[in-house]
Amino acid sequence: MSFIKKFIEAETLSRRNFLLAGAYGISGAAAMRMFGPSPIMAATYSDPTIAWSYRNRTNPYWNEIVSGGEAFVESLGKSKDFLTHLINEGSSEKSLADVKALLAKTNGELALAIDTNDAPNARPVVEACVDAGAYVSTLWNKTDDLHPWDFGDHYVSHMSWSDEGPAEQTARILLEAIGGKGGVVHLGGIASNNPAIERLDGLKNALKDYPDVELLDAQPADWDTQKANQVMQGFITRYGDEISGVHCANDTIGYGVLEALRAEGMDIPIVTYDGNPQAVDLVAQGKILATVFTNPHWGGGITASLAYHAAVGHFKPSEEPHEHREFYGPTIFITPDDALEFKANYLENVPTYDWTDFWGPSNGQIMYK
Amino acid sequence: MADFMTGGNSPLISTLRNIILKWAPLFVLASLVLLFPIFEWLEDFQRGKDHIYLIDSRFFSIRNASRIAVAATPGLMVAIGVTFIIIMGSIDLSMEGTVSVSAVIFAFVFIALGGTLASWAWLAIPVALVVGGIMGFINGVIHVMFRVPSFMVSLAMGFVGTGFALVLTGGDRIRVEDELFRSLLTVRWLNFPIMCYVALLALLVAWFIQSRTTLGRNFYAVGGGEELAIASGLNVSRVRIMGFTLAGIFFALGALMAVGRIGIAETATGNNFMFISITAVVVGGTALWGGIGGVLNTLVGVLIVNVINNGMVVIGLPNWLQDGVLGVLVITAVVLSTNRKTISFVK
Repeated sequence: MSFIKKFIEAETLSRRNFLLAGAYGISGAAAMRMFGPSPIMAATYSDPTIAWSYRNRTNPYWNEIVSGGEAFVESLGKSKDFLTHLINEGSSEKSLADVKALLAKTNGELALAIDTNDAPNARPVVEACVDAGAYVSTLWNKTDDLHPWDFGDHYVSHMSWSDEGPAEQTARILLEAIGGKGGVVHLGGIASNNPAIERLDGLKNALKDYPDVELLDAQPADWDTQKANQVMQGFITRYGDEISGVHCANDTIGYGVLEALRAEGMDIPIVTYDGNPQAVDLVAQGKILATVFTNPHWGGGITASLAYHAAVGHFKPSEEPHEHREFYGPTIFITPDDALEFKANYLENVPTYDWTDFWGPSNGQIMYK
Repeated sequence: MADFMTGGNSPLISTLRNIILKWAPLFVLASLVLLFPIFEWLEDFQRGKDHIYLIDSRFFSIRNASRIAVAATPGLMVAIGVTFIIIMGSIDLSMEGTVSVSAVIFAFVFIALGGTLASWAWLAIPVALVVGGIMGFINGVIHVMFRVPSFMVSLAMGFVGTGFALVLTGGDRIRVEDELFRSLLTVRWLNFPIMCYVALLALLVAWFIQSRTTLGRNFYAVGGGEELAIASGLNVSRVRIMGFTLAGIFFALGALMAVGRIGIAETATGNNFMFISITAVVVGGTALWGGIGGVLNTLVGVLIVNVINNGMVVIGLPNWLQDGVLGVLVITAVVLSTNRKTISFVK
C-alpha cells in the first residue's frame, strides 16, 4: 500500500505549501503597505467621498441639516446619493465605529461632516480622521479643549450656536412690548439641557436692564407642548393677571402656552425660539411676537462644504484665522414685520446658497466661559 | 366593590379595613384640595396680605377647577380604558402609541375631508375610534392566541404605534384649526369647557359598561379568579380580546381630547400618558392583580394626580418634585390596598 502512503504525503506537502504561500501573500502585502506613501503626506484628493454623520432623519431639525448637505453635493454637479449617510441613532460608539469603517473603506480619501453625538466623542473621531489623512468638520458637539488649529489642516472647522445672546434679544423684544414693567414667566426645556440653560440665562441678562419687570417664575416644560400647556395653566392660577408676558425656550413650548392663554381668553405677548414653519406662521398672524431661526439647512451644507474644499485643496485651513476655524452659526430674528418675507425667502423656497462663501452668514468666533 | 375584599383576621377588622380602603382615595383628594390653599394662606400671611382661607384662594376657585378639569380629560379617557384591563388582572401599556396613531390619523382624515366639523370631516372621529379599537384588538389577539404576557404585547404595540405615527407624520405637527372642533375647549357652559361634559358622558358610558353589562361583569369574573370563570363556562379569551378592544377605543377618545385641548396632532401627543394613567388607576384604588376597583375609582385617581400637578405649580414648588410626590403616592396606594393575608407570594 505504499502508493497510498506516498499520495497522502504528497497531498500534505502541497497543502502546507499552499498555506505558507497564502500567509506570505497577506503579510507581504501588509509589509509593502508600510513602505508605501503615507496618507498624511498625500495632502489633498481630487474626488474624496463626502459623508454626513448624524443622529437620524426623522427629527425635522436633522432632516434640515442633511438636506443642506445634499444641496451642497448637488451644487458640485453630482447626484444627491453621492452623499454618504452615517446614522448613529444617538449612540456615540456607533458614530465612532462608522467613521472608522468609512475611513478604512475610503483609505482616508474622505471629507466628513459630523455631529459626534456627545462632546467627549469628538476627540477620538477627530484623531481617527487626522491619522487616516481625512478632512473633518464638526457641528454642535466638542469639548472646550479640542481646537481645529491644533490639528493642522485635517480638522477643518467647528460650528456651534450660542443661544444666550439670541434668547436675550427676544427677551428684550418681549420686555419692550410690555412697556418695561409687569411680570414675566419662563417655560424652559429639559432642565439639564444646555440650550435650556442658555435660553433662560439670556432672559435673565435682559432683565438686568429692566428693573421694573419681575421674573415671576421659571419652570421646565421639557420641550413638550402638552407639558407646557399644563405648566402655563398652573402659572395662570398662581399669578393670574400679574403675568404680562411669556418667554418660551422653544416653539413647541410656545404652542402649548398659546392654547392655555386661549382657553382663558387671555391675550399677552409671547416669544419663542427655533423658527419652525408653524411658529413663523403664528408670528405672521401676530400671535407670537418673535422667534429665532438658526438656518440648519445652511449649517449642514456649509459644514460638508468646508471639509470638501479643504480636502480638494481649494483652501488651506491652517492659513485661516481662528475665527474661520471655530465659529457660531447664523441666527435670524423673525418678527411680525418680516415674517412673511422670511417665510417666502427661507421656507417656501429654500435659497440657493453659495457654498464657497464659508463664513459670510456666520456669527463670530466661539467664546469659552 | 367592598364585597370583593375578603380575608383578614376577624369580620369586624375586615369590614373596617374595607370601608377605609373604599373611601381612602376620596379622602386623599379632599385633603389635597384643602391642603394647597393652606400654603397659599401661609404665603400671603408672610407677605402681610389679607387672606381669608379658601375664599381668597386662587387654587380653590371655580376657574382653577375648570383648568384642572381640562388638564385631566385626556388622561381620564386613557385611564378609563386601562382600568378595564387592570380589573381583568392584565395590563395595557400601549396607550402612548395608540393615542399618537389615533391622533395623527384623526388629524389627517379630518383635514382631508374638509377640515371642519360642519363638513364630512366629522367622519374622522369614528375613524379615529376604529383605529384605536383595531390597535387594542391586535393587542388582545396576540395576547390570547400566542399566550404572550399582556404587558409585553402592549408595550411592544405601543412602540409600534409610536413608530407608525412617526412614519405617518415624518416628525411634523398637524394643526387642527377648525373653530367648531376647538369649541371643545373654547366654549364654556357653567364655567367648564364642553370637553369636560363630553368626558363626563364617556365616564357614564364606561360606568354603564362596567356595572350594567355582561361584558363588564365578566371583566371582574376574569380578574377575581380566572380558573373559576373558566370552570363556569366563560369564554375568557373572548372577554380579554373585547377588553383590549374597548381599552383601545377609550385611548382613541383620549387622543381626540388631547388634540381638542392643544389643537395639534403629532407623534408626541401620546407622551406621558402611560405614567399618568397607570398612576391614576392605582392611586384611585383599583388593585393591580384585578377584580377590585372601577372607573369611578379612576376618576378620583385622575383628579388626585391632576390636583397635585396643578397645586404644586400654584404653591410654587419646583416641577421635578411633582414626579417624586406622585411616585411616593403610588407606592403608598399599593401598600394600602394590598391585603397581605390573602397573598402567599409576590412576583
